[in-house]
Amino acid sequence: MRKTAQAAVLTALIFAAAVGVPHGSLRAAGDHEAGADVFDAYCSDCHSVSPKGTNRKGPTLYGVMGRRAGIVPGFAYSAGMAKSGLTWNPQTLNNYLANPRGMFADGKMKKGLPKPEDRANVIAYLQRPD
Amino acid sequence: MKFAKLFFLMIVCAFAGASPAFAVPSYSRQTGEPCTSCHYGGYGPALTPHGREFKINGYSDGKFVLPLSVTGVASFTHTAKAQPEAASEHDSRNNNFAIDEVVGWVAGRILPHLGTFIAVEYSEIERHAELDHFNINYTQPLKIAGKDAILGVSVNNAPGSTDPFQSFSEMSFPHDSSSLVPEHQGIPLLTDGAGGQVIGVNPYLWFDDSIYAEIGGYRSLSPKLIDKIGVEDEFGKISGVTTYGRLAYQKDFGKQVASIGLVGLRSRVHPEREPGPTNKFTDWGLDATYQYLGNRKNIVAANLTYLHEHQKRDFDVAEGDLERRGHNLNSVKASVSYYRDNTYGLSGALFSSWGTRDTDLFEAEEGGGSRTGKANTSGFIIQTDFTPFGKEDSPNSPWMNLRVGLQYTGYFKFNGAAHDYDGFGRDAKDNNTVYGFIQVAL
Repeated sequence: MRKTAQAAVLTALIFAAAVGVPHGSLRAAGDHEAGADVFDAYCSDCHSVSPKGTNRKGPTLYGVMGRRAGIVPGFAYSAGMAKSGLTWNPQTLNNYLANPRGMFADGKMKKGLPKPEDRANVIAYLQRPD
Repeated sequence: MKFAKLFFLMIVCAFAGASPAFAVPSYSRQTGEPCTSCHYGGYGPALTPHGREFKINGYSDGKFVLPLSVTGVASFTHTAKAQPEAASEHDSRNNNFAIDEVVGWVAGRILPHLGTFIAVEYSEIERHAELDHFNINYTQPLKIAGKDAILGVSVNNAPGSTDPFQSFSEMSFPHDSSSLVPEHQGIPLLTDGAGGQVIGVNPYLWFDDSIYAEIGGYRSLSPKLIDKIGVEDEFGKISGVTTYGRLAYQKDFGKQVASIGLVGLRSRVHPEREPGPTNKFTDWGLDATYQYLGNRKNIVAANLTYLHEHQKRDFDVAEGDLERRGHNLNSVKASVSYYRDNTYGLSGALFSSWGTRDTDLFEAEEGGGSRTGKANTSGFIIQTDFTPFGKEDSPNSPWMNLRVGLQYTGYFKFNGAAHDYDGFGRDAKDNNTVYGFIQVAL
């Protein structure tokens, strides 16, 4: 039993080291409601989560989870993001939001979310914004 | 009969297009953004930081769409005491329904980095159309010392119209007010002077989302051109170049934003467009703005301005109209607005202006004159408004917006006195005004 627990902890540590958490640990689960507030405060001027899929100054974030970066029709992405081959998931989104220009120097989005809890919450919200 | 007229005006506004002075749905169609992204309260012209950036970017963000809109304002005006004469050629001494304006806009992205804010306004009050706003902006993003910057140039027809903070122009609170009431004297040139009668070129720089610097030079349009575009030639001819400058610093704290700034204007004018002595105007002002935006459910916006104008009226003295050459004007305004859900608004403002006493410049005249030779005026404004649309989930977004409002202006002093200010027995409080309005933007 004890060996099993040790093995689980070791596996978790190896996994964490392999994946890397460069911008602070991502909380296991953000607060969806708090994430809606974060979205409304910091993201909603430029991004929509409407099922209509409206692009604004930034591309629609409806259905962003699991989507490849830089493929929303009708939005002119930076070359870096268009070629990145990145897929948005909680981890990649967390890294991006921590420092957007750190990930894509030519990116259009200047400001991210410096607070880890804001990122965790908005990621929880973006997983099911409706 | 008057109610029938109001009903007619509402219908005209709703179907022919009418709206608040500066909310332009073509921008919304162009950017995919609802009105609330750029305007707190859900209706123009009050700008959020995002709206300021859109203006700085030369109205060119987004994609090209047909850059046409129509806006309009219909209103009812009541003053505490009827005016000595009819408020206009087509209105009564009191309790007037009117279409303040119906405006056709060419507003939007024309080319990448090139956008317009051009308006032709028809006033039912004056039965007259004129070229109102004229701004064509070109911008270029660049890096300075590794920081993002926008370098822009605006060709425009009014000093101050380019200001993204909108502290000193007609776009500051209360945005709209009745034009069917006595207007107090002694308004600085920067606030209400040369607009529409001049053309200027203003380069500007927006650096690191925080520093805004602008300088502009203006020349007069010819009387022939002024006549063609329907504007009244009341300013005269600029001698040399009228210079305008603006410097502001904005700090974005995330959910709130604040700014402080300076503005300046210097102008020499030949009032009769003839060579000879000029009247000189030197304006400078300070402003501070604050917005708490939060999650946009409860928004508070505040604005504080001080404006000083020094006048040197050589022309008026040479003509024998005045004995005194030097005059000063000062004005202070503080306003606060609260919006719930970008729908329900409550705003208030205090204002005061004061300056040099001169019985030649400010003469006693029934209704709009000054018994004391002073233009000193002070009072308050309270406004409540309702903006049901303008959000992303509004049924008619981004095609139509609407605001209904009720505004009350009370005067402590008017043209130098609280009582008998005009020398004909009219008190400042007689001009207290109830202004109900409906604004529509299509």
